[in-house]
Amino acid sequence: MAADRTAHVTWSGSLMEGSGTITSVESGAFGPLDVSWAARTEDTEGLTSPEELIAAAHAACFSMALSHGLAQGGTPPEKLEVDATVTFVPGTGITKIALAVRGSVPGLDEAAFREAAEGAKENCPVSKALAAVPEITVEASLA
Amino acid sequence: MPRIVREAEIDWAGTTARGSGVVRAASTGSFELPATIASRIEVIEGKTSPEELLAAAHATCYVTSLGSELARLGTPPESMSVRCTITMDEVEGAGHRIVSSHITARATAPGADVESLAAAAQAADEGCPFSALIRATATVTLDATLDEGGS
Repeated sequence: MAADRTAHVTWSGSLMEGSGTITSVESGAFGPLDVSWAARTEDTEGLTSPEELIAAAHAACFSMALSHGLAQGGTPPEKLEVDATVTFVPGTGITKIALAVRGSVPGLDEAAFREAAEGAKENCPVSKALAAVPEITVEASLA
Repeated sequence: MPRIVREAEIDWAGTTARGSGVVRAASTGSFELPATIASRIEVIEGKTSPEELLAAAHATCYVTSLGSELARLGTPPESMSVRCTITMDEVEGAGHRIVSSHITARATAPGADVESLAAAAQAADEGCPFSALIRATATVTLDATLDEGGS
């Protein structure tokens, strides 16, 4: 079973002086969101960027994979709070993604939670898709 | 060389199958979106998913690269429109995998022709950091056309 998701962006003018808008996404969950090169690489000024969207995608994917793994192991989580931080170096590319999770998981100890988090980091589809990122890390702790 | 850091966060309550999450743009606060596993793989119901966020990231990354390449060729764009479709599929023995990203680009760039646009589109794919990452693990396809106003 395949799942397709589509997003649409328009841009006017040059890279440095112009600006763009993520006009719509298939789900209708968000948009329009404005974007610009300055906001991507300097002060965000409240505008999103590809790297922030990747961070959101990875955080969402990781949280789903971890909650699934914990439930399969017999200790479903009450709550997971995940942060993803994407580092982008212009001219080089995306050099690092750092995941951090705090979880409320009845019946699970810290070591087992860390192991489950490592597994989710390895196996979530976004991690697999972005395997070419030089460094993907995860820090896990119980709330 | 500057390091640019962008952060997002999600709070997830409950299991994957029955729970749900809210994903927030932590760096900018520019979005706060519900997400569920059902919206990811079944009916969308107005909720976003990791794949939709990646589609938005790739479209945004690619459009900036395409604009740079057109400018480099001396035909800066007046406007561009990029659509990206990310496909996740079940791969035998490997579970769910992101298998492809398809980019459809339209540009209004006075002075550009079919050949120069094709060259710019290809160079943009090579230069876009997201393309570089996803190409290592999935198929990237491009379809670029000139809108009226080009020649």
